[in-house]
This record gives sequence, structure tokens and C-alpha cells, in this order.
Amino acid sequence: MIAEEATLARLMAAAQEGDKPAYNVLLSEAGMWLERYFRRRVPPHQLDDLVQDVLLALHHKRATYDVTRPFLPWLAAIARYRWVDHLRKVYKHESGQLEDNDAFEDSHEDVVEARVSLERLFVHLPESQVEAIELVKIEGLSIKEASERTGQSESLVKVNIHRGLKKLSALVEKAD
Amino acid sequence: MTRDRDSIIAAMTEELTPVRGFRYGDGVILVSFALFLSVLGVAYVNGLWSGIVKVEAAPFFWITNGLLLLLGLASASAAIAAASPYVGNRHDAPRWATAMVGVLPLAALISLLPDGHGMAIVEDPVGIHCFTHALATSSFTGAALILWLRRGAPVSLNLAGWHAGLAAGALGAVAYGLSCPLNAVTHLGVWHVLPVALAAVIGRLAVPRLVSW
Repeated sequence: MIAEEATLARLMAAAQEGDKPAYNVLLSEAGMWLERYFRRRVPPHQLDDLVQDVLLALHHKRATYDVTRPFLPWLAAIARYRWVDHLRKVYKHESGQLEDNDAFEDSHEDVVEARVSLERLFVHLPESQVEAIELVKIEGLSIKEASERTGQSESLVKVNIHRGLKKLSALVEKAD
Repeated sequence: MTRDRDSIIAAMTEELTPVRGFRYGDGVILVSFALFLSVLGVAYVNGLWSGIVKVEAAPFFWITNGLLLLLGLASASAAIAAASPYVGNRHDAPRWATAMVGVLPLAALISLLPDGHGMAIVEDPVGIHCFTHALATSSFTGAALILWLRRGAPVSLNLAGWHAGLAAGALGAVAYGLSCPLNAVTHLGVWHVLPVALAAVIGRLAVPRLVSW
């Protein structure tokens, strides 16, 4: 069971004051939330690495959480930031299969989760850029394979990935 | 959950220490202190213009510096907030404030059109002095904002760079403006606004590299 927003915010506020048991619970709950968050946008064998990366970022940047604001949009901003960074670094020529279920569409989708989801970011990109990023950076196809699949030239695939990632990094805090 | 993650969580829990949570007010105090130092620096190097307290300044002096101050405050506010990431953060105020300040150089150019004396702007004998000194003054606020952002977790790095540069440039121009006795539209609208534009470009190019994490 994933804890609700108010509980997570309370746990985070306690963690900032040095409450270790609260922090332990928070990290476990945040880890489960992140698993769901990334499930559709990261191959399963890379999911745990990314979740751990975000948890470490949460740990190092825990002072930047503002206790007067909700917790999940803060965590989601960090998650999106690390995710874009992750896409830039990895996946080339790696294969992996995404799980079919959409974390937020399959589960009970509340307003906060919908506003902070990764899907929201792709809405702002042209279809050709989304396609290139999904095939090469998420599904792990080579540039050549993606080119054959999409009908785009190899250089266009590269350009679309570059432009798409640049745009994604500018949209990290966007909610609508 | 994997064993790896369990052990990482256990390690992070073990090393937890209390931290002072993000407070917007802390950033405001830091930037205010940097602005105060800027004014002190200007007073020491150039001396403050006595005409301000004697109410000798022309209306355009107040309009220019008022708009620059608003731009500086709006941009500093956005840069301070950028240290705490949040899906849903909006930073529209600096955009509108920039558009308003952009009217000043246009006004300067238009005022020179009827006489065809466009080169008068370039030939302004103290223009370069004001430009360089205002830019140098912006380094106080710029350094404070970079320090603040490095301690934070900015996730929109390019935007944070623009805002930090705009804030530093505009507040630097206002602080330096307290020493400049020239009230002409052509002087203030160009030589006190250009440093803001250059500071913004420097901020956009340099800040993301300095504050990325």
C-alpha cells in the first residue's frame, strides 16, 4: 500500500528534523512510489538503478523540501530530472521490454499523480521526437533499427533524440 | 524491493542528520544582503548621487530604476524558488518584467529618430563607464544566487540561469544607478539596460554548469 500525500509530507518533515524511523518508512514508501512512477518509461532491468539514484538524490537534497508544500510534486520534480539525465546516459543498444501496464492509468489515478506523471512531459513533444526517444532511449533499439522502424533517416533520429531530450529537460517542473 | 535498495535505505537512514529545510525567506535575506553590499561598493567606488535625496532626479530616472528594480525582484524571487524543485512551479513574472524593461531602449532609440542622431547613443562619453560598472556591481547578487542555487536542487537549469542572470544584472544596474547623475532617456535606456541583457546571457551560459547536480 502506497502512503498518501499527507503522510509522506509529515514523514519528510520529521526526517528533516532527524527522525530516523520516520525517514526509513519514508524512503521505503518513496521507493515503491517511484517504481510505479517509472514503470512504463524504464525497462524493468534498469528500474531499480533509477529508483535508487532518485532515493540517493532525495537523501542529499532533503533540505530543499519546503514543508509548507506537498511532498509528491517535489519528489516528482527530482524523479523527472534524474530520469532525463538517465535517458541521456544509458540504454544505447541495450534491449529491454517495458511492462505493459501504465502505473497511473491502471491504478486509482488521483489528481496529484496525474499532474506530475512522466506522460505529461511527452505531450509537449512532437510525435517524431517522442517516437525516437521511446525506441532508442527507452526500448533500447539502435539508431539504425529505429530509423528502419520509423522511416526517419538515421541523422534525423539522432537530431530528434537530441532536441527531444533538450526539451524534456526544460519541462521538468511543468504540470499541465 | 531488492536487497540492494534495502541496504541503501538502511545506510541512508543511519547517516541521517537534522537539516534546516528550505525557506524562501533565507534566500531573500541572502540576496538582500548581497544588494546591500552592492550599494556599499558603489558608494565606496563612485559615491552616491546627492541629487536623489535632493529630489533633483528627472522622472525618467525613477521610471528606469523602478522598472529595473521590479525586474530584479521578480527574477531574484524566481531564482530563489528554483532551489526547491516542484512540478507545477511557474515563473511568468520575470518574463513580463523583462518585456517592460525592454521598452526602455526602444524609447531611447525612438526619441533620437526625429533628429537622425542615432549615433549619439554610441558617442555617449560615459556610457561605457556606466555599462562596465553596472555589470561589475551585478557580481555581488550573481555570486549570492549561484551560492544559493548550489545549495539547492534546481531542476530547470537553463531557466534558473536566465533568472539568476537577470536578477544580478537588474539589481546591479539599480545599485550602480544610485551613483549616476545622468537622467537622459538615451543614457539610462541604453547604458543602464544593456548590462542587464549581458548579465542574463552570462547567467544562461554559466549558471547551469555551476549549479547542476
